[in-house]
Formats: sequence, C-alpha cells, structure tokens
Amino acid sequence: MGKSFDLNLVFDFLPKLLSYLHITLLILVGAVLIGLLVGFLAALPRIYNIPVLRTLSAIYVSFIRGTPILIQLFLVYYGLPELLKTIQIDVTHMSSLVFVIITYGFSIGALFSEIIRAAVSAVDRGQTEAAYAIGMTPIAAFVRIVLPQALTIAFPNFANLVISYLKDTSLAFYIGVMDMTGRGQTLGTATNHFLEVYISLAIIYYAVCILLEKCFSLLETRMLRYERQFPVSQ
Amino acid sequence: MNIDFRFIVTAFFEIMKALPLTLVITTVPLLIGFAIGIGTALIRLYKVKVIYKIADFYVSFLRGTPLILHIYIVYLGLPLLFDVLAEKWGWSIRSNSIPLIVFVFVAFSLNAGAYMSEIIRSGILAVNKGEIEAAYSIGMTTSQAMKRIVLPQALMISLPNLCNMFVGLLHGSSLAFSISLMELNGKANVVASTNWKFLESFIAAAVIYWGMTILAEKVTAILEKRLRMFIKGGVA
Amino acid sequence: MIRLKNIKKSFGKQMVLKGIDLTVEKGEVVVILGPSGSGKTTLLRCINFLERADSGAITIGDLSVDCHRATKKEILALRRKTAMVFQHYNLFKHKTVLENVMEGLVVVQKWPVERAKERSLQILEKVGLSQQIDMYPSQLSGGQQQRVGIARALALNPEVILFDEPTSALDPELVGEVLSVIQKIAREGITMIVVTHEMGFARDISDHVVFMDNGVVVEEGKPNEIFHAPKEERTKQFLKRITPEWRYSI
Ligand SMILES: Nc1ncnc2c1ncn2[C@@H]1O[C@H](COP(=O)(O)OP(=O)(O)OP(=O)(O)O)[C@@H](O)[C@H]1O
Ligand SMILES: [Mg+2]
Repeated sequence: MGKSFDLNLVFDFLPKLLSYLHITLLILVGAVLIGLLVGFLAALPRIYNIPVLRTLSAIYVSFIRGTPILIQLFLVYYGLPELLKTIQIDVTHMSSLVFVIITYGFSIGALFSEIIRAAVSAVDRGQTEAAYAIGMTPIAAFVRIVLPQALTIAFPNFANLVISYLKDTSLAFYIGVMDMTGRGQTLGTATNHFLEVYISLAIIYYAVCILLEKCFSLLETRMLRYERQFPVSQ
Repeated sequence: MNIDFRFIVTAFFEIMKALPLTLVITTVPLLIGFAIGIGTALIRLYKVKVIYKIADFYVSFLRGTPLILHIYIVYLGLPLLFDVLAEKWGWSIRSNSIPLIVFVFVAFSLNAGAYMSEIIRSGILAVNKGEIEAAYSIGMTTSQAMKRIVLPQALMISLPNLCNMFVGLLHGSSLAFSISLMELNGKANVVASTNWKFLESFIAAAVIYWGMTILAEKVTAILEKRLRMFIKGGVA
Repeated sequence: MIRLKNIKKSFGKQMVLKGIDLTVEKGEVVVILGPSGSGKTTLLRCINFLERADSGAITIGDLSVDCHRATKKEILALRRKTAMVFQHYNLFKHKTVLENVMEGLVVVQKWPVERAKERSLQILEKVGLSQQIDMYPSQLSGGQQQRVGIARALALNPEVILFDEPTSALDPELVGEVLSVIQKIAREGITMIVVTHEMGFARDISDHVVFMDNGVVVEEGKPNEIFHAPKEERTKQFLKRITPEWRYSI
C-alpha cells in the first residue's frame, strides 16, 4: 500500500503523464492504419467468396474475437521472434512498441473486416444492379457506388472500435512499452502513490475518449449529409 | 522454430485448472452488472431528479476509461474507503481481510453495469411505442407497463448483446491477474515463467479462451433463433 | 355519458384542436369524419390522455377532469373507464392472443386468473378467434390481430371504446371481417367513438356523425343529415372527394 491519499498529487501527475500521451496515440494511429489495410484484405475473400482464403480469413477473425487482447499481445511478443528466426531474421533488439503496434493492428484488422463485410452486405443490392444497368464494370460499381455507401454505414462501428482500442493501449506496459500507462507505473513506483497515478490516468483517458467521440460524431454528420438532403420517405 | 508441442498439451491441462475461477469472475459480475444495468437504464430513461446526472456520468466515465484502471483504482481505493468507514462505524474488520476476489467482483460489476445499462437502454427504446400506449390505454400504471410489457421485450431484444457481454467479461477477466488472481491468464503466466516456456503457455491459454468464446457464441445463436419469433413484429 | 368541453391542443406553434365540444350519450355510436390532419387521432388520444390537452374538461360517467390540471390518479381512473383500438393494433408481441386479452383484467382490474381466462375466452369467441388463443401476434393476419385488439378493449367492459381507423392498415380483403365484428358489438349497446374513412360502414353503424376539419367541429348530426344533406360547404367537398360515386340530391 502507498502512503495516505493526496488529491493534489492527481493534478501534479497530470502533466507528467500527458507528456507520454503521444506514445499512446502513436500506438493507436499506427495500429488503426495497419488495421485498415489488414481489415480490407481480410474482408475481400469473404465478400467475394474466394475458397480457402475465405476460410483462412474466417479463422483469423474468429481467433481474434475469441481471445483476450492481452493474450494476443503475449503471443506476438513471444511468438513473432521465434517465427522470424526460422527465416533468419533477428528481432531481439526490436522495440516492444513495434510488437504492440503489430498486435493491435492485426487485432483491429479482424474486427474491422467484420464491420466492412456487414456494411457491404447492408448496401442495397439494387444499388449494384443500377450501377451495372448504366454500364459500370463490377470494379467501378464496387469502388464508386457500394464502397462509399458501405463506409458511411460502417463509420459509427469503426469509431467505436477505435475508442475501445484506445483503452486497450493501456495494456502495452505489460511488455514494457513506455506509453502513458507505462509512465504511470514508473511514476507510481517512484512516489509510491499509485492510486493517485491511476486516477490521473483515468481522467486523461476519459478526456481523450470524449474528444474522439466528439470528432467522430462531427465527421459522421458530415458523412450523412446526402441522406439528409434527399429524404427518401416522409 | 523452437516450439515444444508436448508442453502445450501439458500447459493446457495445467491452465484449465483455473477455468472455474475465470468463470466465477465472469458470471458473478455479469449478474451484478445486469442488476446495476437495469437500475441505471431506468434512472436515465425516467430522468430521475439529480441522480440521473450521476448515472449519466457513471456510464460515460466507465465506458471512457480502461478496465485495467478500474481494477487498480478499486483495488487501491476500496480499502481506503473501507477503513475510513470502519473507523467511523466501529466495524471490527479492516480492509486487509477483504479477499482479492471481492475487488475483482466490484471492479468488473461496475464496468459491466455501465455497458449493460447502455445495452438495456437501447433495448427499451427499441420496444414499439404503440404497445406502451396500448398498456396505458387499458389502464396500466407506468411501472406496470414497464414491468409487464416493456422490460420483458427489451430484455429479449438485448439478449444477443447481453451474451456478447459475457464474452467481453470473459476476455476482461484476463486482467484480474494484475492483482495476482490466479485465473486463466494468471495461471498461464505462472506456468510460463516456472517452466520458461512462454509461447507454449500462452498458446494453451489462447486455445482455452478461444474454445470458450466459440461455445458462448453457439449458445447465443441458438437463443437468438428461439427469440426471433417474438421480435419479428406484430404488424402484418 | 361522455362530455368534452372546449378541448384545445397545440403541438409547438401548430394548434391542432381549437376548442372541441362533444357529447356522447350512453350506448351511442359516434363516428368522427374529417380529412387527414384535421385532428381526429389527436382528439381520441386526448380523451384517454395518451396526449394531454392544453385546456378543456373531460367527463366520463361520474368522473370529471380538467385537462390542464389532471393528476396521475385522475388520468389512471379515466383510462380505466375507456379502452382504445389502435390503427396498428399494438398487440403485446411477447404475449399470446389469450394473454393479450387477459392482461388488463388480471393486472389492472385484479381479477383472479381463472375468471379472467373464462371471460377472455368468451370474448375471443365473440370476435371469432377461438382457434387462435395460443398463437403469438406475429403468427396472425392483420385482420386477426385487429380482432384481438378489439377483444382486448372489450374485455375490460369500458364505458367507452375509442377506435382510431381500425381498418386502415389492413389489406382490403381483411377489412370486412373487422368491420363486422365492430358492428356486432355496436349492436350490443356499447358506447363507441369511431374514427374511420370507411363511409359505408360509418353510415351503417353511427347514431351520430361529427365532421372535423382543421381542428374544429364543422358540422354534426344524424347520419342521414350529414350524408344526405350536409349544410356546410366543407362537408360537401369532403364527402364528394372521399366517395366519388356518391350522389345526393337536394
Ligand atoms: N406528436 C405530435 N407532434 C407534432 N405534431 C403532431 C403530433 N401528432 C399529431 N401532430 C400534428 O397534428 C395534426 C393532426 O394530426 P392527427 O393525427 O390528429 O390528424 P388525423 O385527423 O388523425 O389525420 P389522419 O386522418 O391522417 O390520421 C397533424 O398536422 C399532425 O402533423
Ligand atoms: Mg389519424
């Protein structure tokens, strides 16, 4: 147990922790970018029903959905170096930050591929047919007609996903990453005021979450403009 | 590649011993959180004076902060609170006699309650408004209509999400090891470090979590199928 | 007997009911006609306080309430004297046909379950649904669902039943079965206020017809007078539009 609780420390810690916020955000942004790429790649075989690849993608998604992120993190941290050793790549000196970004990227990718898949199938089939009817190729129909609509549908879920992974970045310190929570651990050890550190951290995460939510909802209203301007019924 | 496949099997059975504990710290908070969730959802829907603001903040704050912090804050904060109260009311026990698992129950239940209140709230809002009016039109009071017409349907609508909550908590329970509780992940860490076989241990743990999740998803799918009949809607 | 006095209701700036007076005698069937948006639904909903009127008074039997000041208790008492049949049925989806009808008796009127069941079965027989008592609403046709809605209202033995376009959500071939059930219970002397666009039905069933437009009662009287010799220009216009084949001579 630490010393007696001191509320003032909570505010003292805020700036110290905030100076590591950029690492937390770096993990998040890096992971989301990887996730977008992986997610699209994993969604395609299931949208177009490509045998073998479809099954692989389904297993990948099921595995990510089926295991805690922390276990995924441990698996990559201990497994990836082993895997790379077989092809003569030595990663013993690679920063743990890279492991975290890779793990979270692939984790987000799986869930993102599900969101994309659901969104694409939610776009009215008639839209594709209408695109064909005016002479578009299948690829043009997908890229110009289906995808933009699917992205609009997917956006709220995507936003939730990003926010939930922001919170999950707080686990990166388990493999020694010096993000905001990692800094919190050292601060706690140095001052023996862990509780105040954690409250400080909670305040920061909460603020960032609220901020992200605000940004996303602004973006969402922008994306939905066309739905507002041309009300279909009523 | 250097993997000891036989050890994965050994680790699997060793880690499995922690499954009961994992299930306990998953289901108990699920049930407590469910009660909290219904209460909070109703408070927010009916905008009960003053406390609905607190409820709003509770839901938004817990959903906006990481579970690991909930665990730590409860683990460190609850004893302080407890001792202050014990002092004041002259209780004979002190915080150091609180078992570890209680902190996990408290933290997870609060966390689950926040999420479930959102699930239940959207379930309630999804109930056909016309049926609520019909309930009023035959003379039901607000609470009768809520208890007999709205909640049963809201819970059915929310059931798939509530089942997902189980999976969420199952995975979340892997953080209980951070306060040295020997659930699946805690056990996996011990098995890993005592045998110096990290990868193998975590593979075994992953398999267990994965299997449990698939099982839960199957059960959810069956329940969902059964309930579709009601949800389909009454307007022909 | 039911008396509405000077009922006014606005939604925001729009005044939907501009002072409605209406008297319904016991056992009488009153039909309310009027173009879309004239405030018919709103008026019915004000009678059982699904919508609270801004001002005016409602009397049902021995109970009088001031709309503006009505307490929760008064509203509940008023609702227990009335019942409503909805355009979209609004059956309780998670309950069977029998349970839908029993619900009010058991929960609101506190009848013992056995007695409630007995009465519900009788009423379901009257609306021709004895075969469907264990089905769920989603398994029924629209016409059957609406007959359950009528049975649910009827079971409570209310002083008045309010019907809001009970057949307008139905496929044309299902309208007849519902109208004939309503006609049957009308003959039993139950007080009813019916909003409908079915002119033939309105003429047959009504003792009194009220024509509303734009939040006011334009004209009211015996069905013969209103249908055959309307005095007001707006009534004539409306009847001509809604029943183009209808010819009347002066
Ligand atoms: N809850 C509400 N909020 C705002 N305006 C409303 C509401 N309910 C009804 N209105 C408005 O009140 C007016 C009267 O509506 P009402 O439903 O009573 O008409 P009606 O005579 O029943 O029409 P219809 O024959 O189409 O059913 C309409 O202009 C409608 O838009
Ligand atoms: Mg209407």
